[in-house]
Amino acid sequence: MPPTGLEAVFLANRDKLVRFLTVRGAGDAAEDLVQDLWLKVAARIDGPIGNPLAYLYRAADMLMIDRYRARRQEELREQDWAEGEGPEASTGAERAVAARQTAERVAATLADLGERPAAVFRRVRVDGIPQRQVAAEWGVSISTVESDLRMAAHALAALKERIE
Amino acid sequence: MSQDRISPAHGVDTVALDWALRMADPANADWDAFTDWLEADSGHAERYDRAAATLLEAEEALAAQPEAASPIVIEPEPVRRYPLRWIGGAMAAALIGAIGVTAWQDRAQPYAVETAAGETRRVPLSDGSSVTLAGLSRVELDRAEPRRAVLARGEALFQVRHDAQHPFAVQAGPLALIDLGTVFDVRMGRQTRVAVAEGAVMVDPKGAALRLDAGQVVAVDGDRLVRSTVQPEEVGGWREGRLAFDGAPLSLVAEDVSRFLSRPVTVAPAIAMRPFRGTIDLDAVRRDPAVLGQLMDVNVRRAATGWMLEPRE
Repeated sequence: MPPTGLEAVFLANRDKLVRFLTVRGAGDAAEDLVQDLWLKVAARIDGPIGNPLAYLYRAADMLMIDRYRARRQEELREQDWAEGEGPEASTGAERAVAARQTAERVAATLADLGERPAAVFRRVRVDGIPQRQVAAEWGVSISTVESDLRMAAHALAALKERIE
Repeated sequence: MSQDRISPAHGVDTVALDWALRMADPANADWDAFTDWLEADSGHAERYDRAAATLLEAEEALAAQPEAASPIVIEPEPVRRYPLRWIGGAMAAALIGAIGVTAWQDRAQPYAVETAAGETRRVPLSDGSSVTLAGLSRVELDRAEPRRAVLARGEALFQVRHDAQHPFAVQAGPLALIDLGTVFDVRMGRQTRVAVAEGAVMVDPKGAALRLDAGQVVAVDGDRLVRSTVQPEEVGGWREGRLAFDGAPLSLVAEDVSRFLSRPVTVAPAIAMRPFRGTIDLDAVRRDPAVLGQLMDVNVRRAATGWMLEPRE
């Protein structure tokens, strides 16, 4: 049976996805990764999707973000070990408190921007509501939603700089 | 606004953040353009990773603790006494202990000054410059770098001792500025804008490099910088208890006025966009907020938390 739907799109665009993964930070590993990507996507999807090529790109993008985060986590762990702080230095409760404090500062940073930017950021980025719909909910233009998101992203990145 | 830059004041990478927002939005994601951007510089992928991870981690924290939304506890200074890490390191958060804090303090000595509603405060800087804060405002400074300031909230008037070798840099949300010999006012909130009273300012020095002279104003509108003019003597007029407007929407006027009152003024949605021209005497409004009624042709209603401007029947 010839490949259909998503698989056909994947095969037709395999080279583009490899190029994307290469410049996205995978380098020479892009060929292997594109295969991993397909196995993951094929296992997860069993129905039609609106824009298969955009979906594949985003899946590849997320794969790289996950790898970056895993690498960062590992570096932080090694750094802590090198600084003489073993895992026994903290309890689960302490970690939970630290995570909660950080989460509260994230929420406070958003709240500081005002009601609408904070709500827009949550609706779009946490609830996953399309920007067009969020713009309609607030009776504002898409460009206002975009600028709210940008302002929130900027404030969160600045908070991260301060905390790190 | 410009594209390739990392804003100076906080090391915040606005370009990478923009890509991270755009690529997560199916309606805006252009994968060919993104691939081209990545290809243009081998460092772009890592910058993007960092920005995307920052956003995801913040969102995961919000999703995990939705009830944390309401209380706004603002610490007077960002210098922390307890080990705190960004959420990405939350698994290892408590492991770092005092070591990370010490290393971080060697590099920078950040502090912040903020004002309550109705309060104004002048902050002298070690280089002879000063920042005057309007109410409900916050500026973040660094003793190790006196020529930089971040306006985090509200409004401030900067009186800068000019030094062409070391320009004074201000970051206000998306807006980056450097002084060219200057007194200027920066506000944030519903609208971010800068107005120049004396001398000149350069907006977005690494991108648009737009020069503003005395009496000129630039406001951020989405991606665009919109220019207008103002009487130079009205810039920072709030220090003398005066706020002048030339066609600003009532919602913006209410936000500005609220900085100088102990209770906020809000506007009914029906008239939020109605333009207002005129000068507001803040002392008179402090004595009796009802004077806003005649001035703006609205009803002023006492609400639970402050004052509500409503259309007249």
